[in-house]
Amino acid sequence: MMHSVSESADPDVLNDGAKIAVIGGGPSGSFFSIFALKMARMLGKELNVTIFEPKDFTKDGPGGCNRCGGIISELLVQTLAVEGINLPDSVVRKGINSYKLHTNEGSVFIATPHFEKTIATVYRGGGPKGMMAGEKESFDNFLLRQAVKEGAVHKPLRIDGITYRNKKPVPLSRNSEIMEADLVVGAFGVNSTAGTLIESMGFGYEEPLTVTTAIAELHMSEQVVAQYFGNSIHLFLLPDKGLKFAAMIPKGAYVTLCILGSEIHGRTVDDFLDKPVVKVVLPKSDPYKLECRCLPKMNVGAPKIAFSDRVVMCGDAGSTRLFKDGLGAAYLMGKAIAKTVVFHGVGRQHLKGSYKPVYRSILIDNYFGRVLYAVTDILRKNSVFTKGMLEVIQREQEGVAGHVVLSSILWDMFTGNERYRNIFPKALDVRMNLHLLKEIAKAMVKAA
Amino acid sequence: MMQEGELGKTYSDGEVIFHEGDTAEVMYVIQSGKVRIAKKAASGNVTIATLQSGDIFGEMALFDRLPRSATVISEGDARVLSIDKKKLFATISRDPTLVFKILESMSQRIRRLNEELTKFKKSRLDVLTASMDVDGACNLILDEAKNLVHADNGSIMLFDENDKTLSIRAAFGVESGEKVKFCAGEGIAGDVIKTGNAELANNVMLDSRFKKGEMHIQSLLCVPLRYDVHDLGVMNMSITSDRLFTLDDLKLLNSLSVYAAMAIHNARNLSTLKSAAERVLMHATLLDV
Repeated sequence: MMHSVSESADPDVLNDGAKIAVIGGGPSGSFFSIFALKMARMLGKELNVTIFEPKDFTKDGPGGCNRCGGIISELLVQTLAVEGINLPDSVVRKGINSYKLHTNEGSVFIATPHFEKTIATVYRGGGPKGMMAGEKESFDNFLLRQAVKEGAVHKPLRIDGITYRNKKPVPLSRNSEIMEADLVVGAFGVNSTAGTLIESMGFGYEEPLTVTTAIAELHMSEQVVAQYFGNSIHLFLLPDKGLKFAAMIPKGAYVTLCILGSEIHGRTVDDFLDKPVVKVVLPKSDPYKLECRCLPKMNVGAPKIAFSDRVVMCGDAGSTRLFKDGLGAAYLMGKAIAKTVVFHGVGRQHLKGSYKPVYRSILIDNYFGRVLYAVTDILRKNSVFTKGMLEVIQREQEGVAGHVVLSSILWDMFTGNERYRNIFPKALDVRMNLHLLKEIAKAMVKAA
Repeated sequence: MMQEGELGKTYSDGEVIFHEGDTAEVMYVIQSGKVRIAKKAASGNVTIATLQSGDIFGEMALFDRLPRSATVISEGDARVLSIDKKKLFATISRDPTLVFKILESMSQRIRRLNEELTKFKKSRLDVLTASMDVDGACNLILDEAKNLVHADNGSIMLFDENDKTLSIRAAFGVESGEKVKFCAGEGIAGDVIKTGNAELANNVMLDSRFKKGEMHIQSLLCVPLRYDVHDLGVMNMSITSDRLFTLDDLKLLNSLSVYAAMAIHNARNLSTLKSAAERVLMHATLLDV
């Protein structure tokens, strides 16, 4: 079909028919592709977006897994719904309406308003062996299909080099030139080897700082998971040094265990499962099987330089939200780049003006997050503080306190429902802090 | 039974998600099933739309801050995801392009409404301007009036310029058996034809203008039928029970009266034209003999 689209004289503006290479077919790459194609179409332009992803997200087991906790926050679920991306039942493993917080001093239940299931648990890739039986689909495959539906082309090629020709990047696969791109989008994570490709382009990109996490899949029957976990994610704040927090995330017949901290090693999962507070949560008479485990890296920093002329990073190997809501960050960053390149351009100046503020907003938000996690570290490491915290949350959940602040803080922190900078002011609430101090004092008196 | 991978809240068949007039704090996205959008009317709730999976509803009240404009009812089991107003607006403030999809949805809805409104107007005009005699036109108008306003009785009285009286040309209910004539200014109907003002009398027994007849009437609507400068008659609708007409009923009937007067005027002109044609034809026949 012939249609009239004016050509821009600016060489860094995407014209009709421009070619974009997306390296990585995970959520950030798919989100970028979906929104770039949609927005360009609104302007009467047709972009040629090619997504390079060698991994098959329809396969279960290590080959198709993207090694992630797989929680889609309430905010992201709602935002995607507004965007017209509704998560099908085949993708959602469990609708979550509550959290249960476990500590060595006791446990407390925190629920969503009206018990509506607003948080989704998913498998990013195929999940553990056997998971793809039946009508199930991974979240990454679902998103990739949406991108293809919008007009993107998926090529299962591994990009192992990038060169330049006529000032345009040219992705290489097995030493063969694939295309001359108007833009290259790096949409891969920190567990990918593709980071070195971007580093070799020489514009100053360096792979971000990472920490090691532990992820394991516990296999039970669906009935047992439903009985012991219900519609809740179980969160553990334990006093162990180097163990920031852990979560057990129900997904059908499986429970994904995620452990975050500064001292994660090969025995971390086993040590964690041996803890009495953890054993109480797990079924006693019905044994579970440790189906698989891994020690993936997690981005806890961000490269100082994430873009240059015609190249930009938007996956985990760019910036992401600290310790949580990685999928929300993927959406945010993928869409921000799409808006920038479609409505502005692909030059460094365009990305600096339009994308960099969003990129930096994540970094700044994470500073607030670090402070908040430091506070939770204090609360979890000291038993008296832990007791005080639990008492405050319990009273809030029962409605005795008259207002819900600490529960809201923890909910927003661990669900990804709010940016850290929005949570931070709540932590300064005078009434809540006075209540917390009062309960800590009571606990001290009892301990004396 | 709620399945493992289901998000949102499930409403059972016939369950109301929100009522017309409710305050609005959330919008909704249908995850599965269907919902019916209904508006209040004299005859009960009228379905104006049926929405299905993926559709957005309830967004209008978030933006215009007015009460819900319609009632939404689950049609079969429907599962909907609520979108919190505050969080939505906070997200939009950071990313205004989020409204693209909402605007698209609202735009499509406006297009559909425009199309339906056009069809409605064309259909109404076609009916009211159809070629038929005066009595036929009056009966058709009353049929339309019954669809708009729920009444026990109704009539159209036309004004005879020769003897200056109103008489019934079409009626339904008890009025269909009445032989009533009013002079201009006599009774409520006569007053309406004289003044040209529509009337709503919810306790007609207390109205000094009311001419009591065999029929007991509690509430009465009477609107003038005027075309250009010509007083053609009046249209009456009445209730015998304790139920009362509303101002909305009066507005609806008054709106219909514009088309009704046009139709009656056309019918009269057509009747006159037919009579003239017949006379010409008869004259021509006589000349041929």
